[in-house]
Amino acid sequence: MSRWLLAFGGAFALAGSTSVMAKPIAFAGGSTLMAEYGAGTMEELQFFYAPRYDFSFGGGYLELTSDETTKTRYLSYARLNYLVQRWNLDDAQANVYIWGGLGNATGNTFAGSAVTQNAGVQADYETRRVYASFKTDLQRSSDFSHRIDTLQLGLAPYKHEYGGVATWFLVQAREYTGGIHRGAETAVLLRLFKGGVWVEAGVTNAGKLQAMAMFNF
Amino acid sequence: MKALPRILLLLACAASASAQAATIEMQVSGLVCAFCAQGIEKQLRKFPATADVAVSLEQKLVAVALKDGQDIPDAELRRALTNAGYTVKSIERTETPIAAVRERLKQSKP
Repeated sequence: MSRWLLAFGGAFALAGSTSVMAKPIAFAGGSTLMAEYGAGTMEELQFFYAPRYDFSFGGGYLELTSDETTKTRYLSYARLNYLVQRWNLDDAQANVYIWGGLGNATGNTFAGSAVTQNAGVQADYETRRVYASFKTDLQRSSDFSHRIDTLQLGLAPYKHEYGGVATWFLVQAREYTGGIHRGAETAVLLRLFKGGVWVEAGVTNAGKLQAMAMFNF
Repeated sequence: MKALPRILLLLACAASASAQAATIEMQVSGLVCAFCAQGIEKQLRKFPATADVAVSLEQKLVAVALKDGQDIPDAELRRALTNAGYTVKSIERTETPIAAVRERLKQSKP
């Protein structure tokens, strides 16, 4: 974990202050639908509704398949997201989010189902040309515990404008604890968004597909 | 000759200015991501007084065209932008038609 924090700190410094990623809160009265395919190791679907600009609630489904064994895990959860702090700067925005929730898991490493607890933090910073985010997401139960840490750093080849297509090139590093994946997984990604539609796709260092889609409405 | 359509548009905008309502122009902080800024239009279009909305990331500007004889209090505007995720730095009311504001913003694109 400490090396992630060091990397994030370095990215922050390089960016000239901090970092962004798919945000768990859209805007007051807005909804966010996210779907991610994580290189065969994780697949996640989330939906959140934000009654306020700093709070959202919703749920998700997470499926994990270990690359080391035949370990599989299926989690369904309800979650609350809270915007702890936002910095609206002249040429940048930075945010810190936290979340927590409860869910239910099944898998092939334990019998029956288990009640799960979920907690996480996300910090992000972006200008119109530089983007960085770090997210850590913990799921634990009496039968297992794992955490997924994700760092993204991005550069935009041009400054996009409202109503136009935004293009970003990103590198992503991800680490799974709890025996889900051996070592860090890295990926290069292309992100495009226009209006309330966001898509990104790329390839990992193992040559697998990494993709994500998000819709704000 | 290339400038003729633009001049005609500005003249048309000016000619109809008296018939059009005012425009509110707001300087906004944190306006860097178009995807995240979707909420601005949604929040501002909730006001019955709103006729149109224009957003410029380059100019960090949000403009609201008002319907004839109507207005939106500053406090409501600030609340709407906060709900969209941003901070209002300044609010200015002008008689500039929003079409002319859009034209000005288009000229300022990088």
